[in-house]
Amino acid sequence: MRGVLRLFAPRSYMDRQRRAGLLFVLPALVYFGLVFLVPLVESVVGSFHRIVPGGESRFVGLRLYQRVFTDSTFWQAVANTVSLLLMSVPVTVTLALAVALGLHRLRSVMARSAWAAMYFLPFSVSLVAAALIWQWMYDPLYGFLNHLLGLAGLPPLPWLQSLELVRPSLAIVNVWVRLGFDTVIFLAALQAIPADYYEAASIDGASARQALLRVTLPLLNPQIVMVTILELIFNFKVFDTVYATTQGGPAGASQTVIMLLYDTAFKFFRLGDASVMAVFVFASLLLVTLVQWRLFRREVEY
Amino acid sequence: MAAGALCVFFPFFWMAVTSLKTVPEIQRVPLHIAPDRWTNLDNFREVFHRQPFARFLLNSALIAGVSAVSSVVVSSLAGYGFAKFRFPGHGVFFFAIVGILMVPFQSVVVPLYLWVSRLGLLDTYLGILAPDLVSVFGVFLMRQSIEVVPSDYIDAARIDGAGELRIFWGVILPSVKPALATLVIVKFMWTWNELFWPLIVVNSPSMKVVTLGLLSFTNMYFIEYNLVTAAAVVSILPILVVFLVGQKWVVRGVVLSGLKG
Repeated sequence: MRGVLRLFAPRSYMDRQRRAGLLFVLPALVYFGLVFLVPLVESVVGSFHRIVPGGESRFVGLRLYQRVFTDSTFWQAVANTVSLLLMSVPVTVTLALAVALGLHRLRSVMARSAWAAMYFLPFSVSLVAAALIWQWMYDPLYGFLNHLLGLAGLPPLPWLQSLELVRPSLAIVNVWVRLGFDTVIFLAALQAIPADYYEAASIDGASARQALLRVTLPLLNPQIVMVTILELIFNFKVFDTVYATTQGGPAGASQTVIMLLYDTAFKFFRLGDASVMAVFVFASLLLVTLVQWRLFRREVEY
Repeated sequence: MAAGALCVFFPFFWMAVTSLKTVPEIQRVPLHIAPDRWTNLDNFREVFHRQPFARFLLNSALIAGVSAVSSVVVSSLAGYGFAKFRFPGHGVFFFAIVGILMVPFQSVVVPLYLWVSRLGLLDTYLGILAPDLVSVFGVFLMRQSIEVVPSDYIDAARIDGAGELRIFWGVILPSVKPALATLVIVKFMWTWNELFWPLIVVNSPSMKVVTLGLLSFTNMYFIEYNLVTAAAVVSILPILVVFLVGQKWVVRGVVLSGLKG
C-alpha cells in the first residue's frame, strides 16, 4: 500500500523511476483493458444472459449454451471448419518447408529474396482480394482452371458451386495466402542453423538425405510446431475468404464457425447465442495455445 | 523453385490481364491470354465511375495511416516502460498484454460493437479505428528492440539532466529506427487489408474502406470480372508499393510475429 501511495507522491529517485515506468505503459494498459479485457468479460457474461424484449437482460444460466450446442447448424459449422483446416494446414506447412529448403539452397542472396518475395506476395494482399482473384480462377464458365481442364480433355469442374469441392477449393486459397508467411519463418530458422553442424555431419559421412533428416528437421522442430499452431489458429478463424466468395454456401457446405458467429450476431441479432460462440472460439484457441506450451517445453538447444 | 513461384504468381498475372479486357474478350472461346489492347483502361474508369472508389482508397489510407502512427506511439512508450523500468505490477501487466494475443478478435467483437454503437461511433472513422489503434505485436516488438539499447546511454542522458520524455525522444527512438519502420509498415498493411470489423461498423457508402468497396462489385447477380479484377488491382497497388519499399522490414516483422507465437 505504501508503495502505491509513493507512486503518487514520489520521494526518492527510485520512486520517480517507478512512476515514470508506470506512466509510460499506462496508455497501452488502458487501451487493451478497454478494447480486449472488458469486452472479453462481457462476452462471457453475455453468454449466460438473454436480452428480453424491452432491452432488459436476464440471467438464464447455461440455457444459451444448451441451445447452441444442440443446434446441428453449429456442429455443421464446426465440422466444416475442422475439415477445411485439416485440408489446408498440413499442405501449407509441408509446402512451406519444401519451398524454404529449396530457397535456402540458392547461393545468391538476390535470387533468394526475389523468389521469396514472389511466394510472399499473396500474404501481403487482402484476403478479400485473394478470394476474388481465385473466384475468378474458379469461374465455371470462363475461369482459367476449367480452361486448363478443357485443354487436358477433362470436363469442367463446379469448383465453388459443389458440395464436395467447395471446401478443397477454399483450402487452396488459404494455402496460397499463407504459404509465403510460413516459408519466411522457416527460411529465417534455416539461416540460423550454424554451418558447423553440417560440416560435422559430412565429416561423419552423412549423406544429404541423412543431414536433412537428422540435422535440419530436428533443429527446425520448434518452428514446425509453431507454424502449425499459427496455421491452426488462422484457419480456425477463417472468415474473409468465405464471406467474399460463397457466403457459407452452397447449402451451408462452407459455413465456418466465424461465418456463423457473424451471421448470428449481425444478421439475426441473436447476441446471446453469438456470445456463446465467441466463448467457444476463445476456449478452443486457448486449448491450442496450451498444447503449444506443453510441446514447447521440449525445446531444442543449439 | 522457379516453377512453384510462377504458379504462385500466376493468379496475380491473370487478374492483371483480365482487368484490361472487355466483357466479350473475357467470354471468348477459345480463350486468349493476352488482352486485345494492353492500354485498355476502360474497366478502371468504370470502377471509379460506378463506386466512389477514390473515397474508399482515401478512407483506407487515412485509417491505416492513423492506426500505424498511433500504434507506434503507444507501443514504443509502453515498450520503453517495460524494457527499462521496474514498477509494481511490471510482470503481471506484461503477461496480461501478451495474454491478449490468445484472445481472438472475434471473441470480443459483439461487446465491442455494442460499445461503439452506444458511444454513437458507428459509421465514423473513430469507430472503424477503435480496435486498431494499438496492437499487442507492437508492444512486444518495441519492448524487444528497446531492451537491447544500452542502459548506459540512458544513464548518461539522465546525468546530463534530460527529462524522461526527452530521453525517450532523443535517445530511445533514434536507436530503434528499424523496429519503428517494421511496425509502421506491418500495421499499415494489416489495417489496409482488414475486412471483419469494417464490415460490422460501416453502413454508408462514403465510409467504406477498400476491402468493402471491392465486395460491392460482387454483390450483383452477374459478377463482372473485368471490373472486379480492375478494382482488385487498384486495391492491391498501394499495398504492393508499401510492400516493395519496405520488404526488408515486413519480413523482419513476420519473423518476429512468428517468434511471438
